Amino acid sequence: MTRDDTWRRTARRRGAAVTVVVDDEPVPACTGETVAAAMLTAGAAFEQDSGGTPRAPLCTMGTCFECAATVDGRPLTRTCLVPVRDGMVVETSRRL
Amino acid sequence: MGRTGTDHNAIGQAGTEHNVVGHGTGQAGMFDLAVVGAGPAGMAAALTAADHGLKVVVVDEQQRAGGQIFRQPPEEFTGSVLRPTAGYGWATGLIRRFEADERLTTEFGWSAIGVLYDDALPGGLCLAVNHPQDGTRVIGARRLLIATGAYDLPVAFPGWTLPGVMTAGAVQTLVKAQKIAPVGDVVLAGAHPLLLLVADLLVREGVRVSEVAFAQNIPKPADLLHALGAVPGHVRMLAETGGILARLVRNGVRVSSRTVVTAARGEEHVARVELARVDRRWKVTGTPRAVDASHLVLGYGFSASTELARQIGCDLVYDSPKGGWVVSHDDRLRTSVPGVFVAGEPTGVAGADQSRAEGELAALAIAADLGRDVSATALAEAERGIRTATRFSTVVQRMFEPAREALGDLAGRDTTVCRCETVTRGTLDDFLEASPFVSDVNAVKLSCRTGMGPCQGRYCEGSVGTILASAREQPIGLGGRFSAHLPIKPVPVGDLRTLDSFLDAPPDAPPDGPGGDGSGAVDG
Repeated sequence: MTRDDTWRRTARRRGAAVTVVVDDEPVPACTGETVAAAMLTAGAAFEQDSGGTPRAPLCTMGTCFECAATVDGRPLTRTCLVPVRDGMVVETSRRL
Repeated sequence: MGRTGTDHNAIGQAGTEHNVVGHGTGQAGMFDLAVVGAGPAGMAAALTAADHGLKVVVVDEQQRAGGQIFRQPPEEFTGSVLRPTAGYGWATGLIRRFEADERLTTEFGWSAIGVLYDDALPGGLCLAVNHPQDGTRVIGARRLLIATGAYDLPVAFPGWTLPGVMTAGAVQTLVKAQKIAPVGDVVLAGAHPLLLLVADLLVREGVRVSEVAFAQNIPKPADLLHALGAVPGHVRMLAETGGILARLVRNGVRVSSRTVVTAARGEEHVARVELARVDRRWKVTGTPRAVDASHLVLGYGFSASTELARQIGCDLVYDSPKGGWVVSHDDRLRTSVPGVFVAGEPTGVAGADQSRAEGELAALAIAADLGRDVSATALAEAERGIRTATRFSTVVQRMFEPAREALGDLAGRDTTVCRCETVTRGTLDDFLEASPFVSDVNAVKLSCRTGMGPCQGRYCEGSVGTILASAREQPIGLGGRFSAHLPIKPVPVGDLRTLDSFLDAPPDAPPDGPGGDGSGAVDG
């Protein structure tokens, strides 16, 4: 977790409360949210570049791959395209 | 998973050992038309094609129809309704009709990763698609429509890789469809009117917007109206833009013209940005001033999404005002590859009205191509729709064409140009100086690794092209474009095994063969 003060939820009427696990830390989310939106709101860190510098989503529409992570064991998953599911496991590693 | 209408051989249900949809399952499983993209062009095309009796499948990476411009909130967010941008009142109706249409097969959450041709499927093509959880499948179709939209034009400058820097399209999507908002001060910078819409959206959400910086002089609504003449459908949108400007100023937002962002600074996240005055050609003239900001939103315009067209081998042409590399087509929206059509932003970024009109025309052309009766009136109406939309889009394209040379100059030696492979401007400059005969972006890619990462060059091609053009004193288009190969969006290696087995042992062709409806088969 890096910063939890950069994004906030606006609409109250969201989906059901679920928890995804990002790098062994529980991240609260609501169904309908993308993994990337849940991570941004929680202040979770995304994958670092090969030099260890932090990166974060740029496009949130599936083109830039800055939000890619390993989701439920599948690498290079664009977290901005994938809706959260309870118990989903997200791993952000430093890129090669 | 996708909704299926009358067809039950949808992805994941075909049950063939080769994971092929609409292939090896008899004539009933073969689609007449596969549409890639469920934005205005794709939705209009799918409905028009279905009206002419075609069996249509629509593939889109997102969870719902609408495309980027009309991205809808998730169904789980009860009470969330789409509020289309002013001037696009037709969008809600189009989306509702599309979503309610039982004739269409839709596959949301699936990415098109390329097209394969198969001897067992003469006159047809195989669209390979990938899903984040379910892996790779292949869809068989007689015709393909590329309606893949556009994405925000990337501009490399110091600090643009810092968390907190996002594109205008990204922020718009997060606020409108995901219902989250940035915390802290926001600066928006670029050159496209979308910035005003996003700034307004943020202000209405209670976000502190400190400044909107435009590289050019901001055209007054009156100027726009004068340039447009009488185009009734768009007057409302332009009047809205004028209202937005007034509302922003009233809310204490500084709106600067002839100003670009030259740097984003901060340790792990944006903390401040630097803004500088520019001349008429967007060249920096003054010393930058620092502005505190937690978020920087970039909106310089759009690049057409053409990777699928590239992978298939369609001819492209460089047209800077239209969004860089765009797909060549004839007056019925046929690309240079038989059976493959294009509509919407990949023909040139021209907005939702033109995209919808092109989608309709492409579908009519495809229906005629497949031997369906298409009335001359319908064709004439579709062509008139495109002409009307073009009058507007041409003005906007001319007014907001990015000054690419000046934007290229924003990247200094240490600036990361290729975000995926972390290649700096300095690496490119040194290579170009040491290799005086290199004049092609693909040669730069092979030597410097720019464009070899997961985004596959979508975010550095423009910078590399501009830097190369400037070094060789040649037009940007002369340096060529990155090529694209399957998978055009990277997938786990294991997923491609599906394609291997498919190519090694293609299943039998449908009994009647594609084109068995009496229409002419496609060559090649």
